[in-house]
Amino acid sequence: MVRKSKYENTVLDPRAALMLLFLVTVVVFAQQSLYLELALVAALISLFLYSGLFKNGLILFLGFGFLLALQYYIFPNAPQVFAHFFAILTTYARKVFPCIMVGMLIVKTIPMRYLILAMRKWRFPQKLIIPLSVTLCYFPVIREEIGHIRDAMKLRKVKGIAKAEAIFVPLIFSAANTAEELGAAAVTRGIENPAPKTSVIELRFRLQDYICLVVSLIFVWAAFWLRRGAV
Amino acid sequence: MITIDNVSFDYNREKNTLKNINLHIRSGECVLICGKSGCGKTTMTRLVNGLIPHFTENGRLEGKVVVAGMDVAKTELYKLSEKIGSVFQNPKSQFFNVNSDAELAFGLENIGATPEYMRERLKATVEELQIEQLEHRSIFTMSGGERQMLAFASIYAMNPDIYVLDEPTANLDEHAIEIFRRQLEELKRRGKTILIAEHRLYFLTDFIDRAVYMENGEIISIYTRDRFIALSDEQRIKMGLRTLRANDFQVNDFPMLSSQNVLTVKNLCCEIKGRPVFDQVNFHVSSGEIVGIKGSNGVGKSTLVRCICGLTKEKNGSVSLDGRPLTQKQRNRECYCVMQDVNHQLFGDSTWNECELSAGGCRETEIKAVLRSFDLLEYIDTHPMALSGGQKQRLAIACGVLSGKKILVFDEPTSGLDYDHMLAVAGMIQKLAKRKHIILVVTHDIEFLNCVCDRTIALTFNELQQKDNGGN
Repeated sequence: MVRKSKYENTVLDPRAALMLLFLVTVVVFAQQSLYLELALVAALISLFLYSGLFKNGLILFLGFGFLLALQYYIFPNAPQVFAHFFAILTTYARKVFPCIMVGMLIVKTIPMRYLILAMRKWRFPQKLIIPLSVTLCYFPVIREEIGHIRDAMKLRKVKGIAKAEAIFVPLIFSAANTAEELGAAAVTRGIENPAPKTSVIELRFRLQDYICLVVSLIFVWAAFWLRRGAV
Repeated sequence: MITIDNVSFDYNREKNTLKNINLHIRSGECVLICGKSGCGKTTMTRLVNGLIPHFTENGRLEGKVVVAGMDVAKTELYKLSEKIGSVFQNPKSQFFNVNSDAELAFGLENIGATPEYMRERLKATVEELQIEQLEHRSIFTMSGGERQMLAFASIYAMNPDIYVLDEPTANLDEHAIEIFRRQLEELKRRGKTILIAEHRLYFLTDFIDRAVYMENGEIISIYTRDRFIALSDEQRIKMGLRTLRANDFQVNDFPMLSSQNVLTVKNLCCEIKGRPVFDQVNFHVSSGEIVGIKGSNGVGKSTLVRCICGLTKEKNGSVSLDGRPLTQKQRNRECYCVMQDVNHQLFGDSTWNECELSAGGCRETEIKAVLRSFDLLEYIDTHPMALSGGQKQRLAIACGVLSGKKILVFDEPTSGLDYDHMLAVAGMIQKLAKRKHIILVVTHDIEFLNCVCDRTIALTFNELQQKDNGGN
């Protein structure tokens, strides 16, 4: 079972992706034009398609379409209470939709170690990077542990409130043990070595990274320009 | 290469964990440390890799340990780690990355190796250890055995002079042990120094130079290889050691005991995320029988018993008791599983409370009787997490018995156990069989299988071949 790593041909450099996230956020909060918003979502969906995430692209497309339909067709014709109740939620969801898209793209295509490497390149302090990476690695471990504990509960007669309590006792103990063992393994593998850390993977900007950034800068410019025109 | 000079150590001031240890290991030597659980094997490895004293609070160390010319107590851990590679017992908690490639490179990245050198080393590691199947994978999709192999490989990538291994085979099956044995032989040919603490000994006897036998924190004797393998079985058992010879799998093949209370698995087929794990599994187990399930790492043993317990849904086929097919929920009620890590299944705040939780209306006398038969009566008020490993395991079994489950499943009950403890577990399981439980034991411990099981089912990839006279 030799699977070529999907990360070998990462679509975007992690640094470009993080910058993209920042720029898209700027656009989202600066823009006031529906057309610009549509163009932005369309551009991001094409980025999804370019990355080979067809299914996610389609789901996002439908999701955004649904939000628009809600606001422009369903709410005006729906009972007032209903419309008032959901209008704010929908507006916000639509507003941050492009940010969620970029976030999803990052999670789907860029492995953790690339993001950490990007942070290192940007000289984020080591004190921030190590806890962050260990924490993120710890989530799946906890999920695995919870799975085991739930199995064990199914085979016992643990019911109701006792259930919530029952998850935590074993979880806390195993978390403490894991932390201790993980620590021992870390120090015997030289995590405290003061030598500057190197990386087996190299990051570099490629054409698509530059295109992405240039396009998103154009969006930023357009957002502000349209806004000035509107005032 | 390693000199331990008159060392005594204790974790707290109550008693000495190690007493007057003197040991000199030459460069290129392979030395085994053996002895019963709790004899100080792990502590010995921690003396050498520097976790003692650097990673141990409140410990008291006397004497001096010198490794590769460095005084361990006075050298920073990261300096020691450049010369000494350590592999630990628990494969679950040795990883810092989600991805196997990143994990292999982790140690080299820490010492600041150049990318060219790293790529070269990683390529060599994958080729020399033949672990192509572990490349580019998420660690969370790996079995315990695969994780242990990866842990060893990521140390190998750093190319240390000294390897310190603490029970590296606790989670490995026979086949993986065989691969591991070859890897160790290769290390030895390259002149590496190896210190290995182990319970399972048979795979080491070909190439160790000396064996250190410990008892209660003291070195009792040091054997040369020849003298060690010449130990008679009688002597070995007295020392509490596991077998020294590769265990041929003797097919205990007793016919089925009775035709009543039979667990029947018929045409069972399971899938995980659309990928078939096994197909067309058929067997019978009658009440009072102990049936072993063996097979390589990752073949689907755990999935099979999870399915029997109703924790995983079957794709096809049925599990029935007494000819009555059971739904998933019903199987949850009929089955109990003693898990590999029993920490996951103890929820109460005292031993007594733990039992009440599962007994659901049992009389006090009954709980007491069960606790007595598992030697737990004196720990009634102890918190389950404060019990020792073996006691926790017995408590987990006691809960299963109290909840009145018919079918008991044991998942790797002997991983990391010495001879005496293995016998104790075997005795307990036999006692349960006498109480007419239906018992399934998942294990790759052949020595244990031979001594406890009435019949064995061998799970191979995509089919279940069975040595099963009585059932067909």
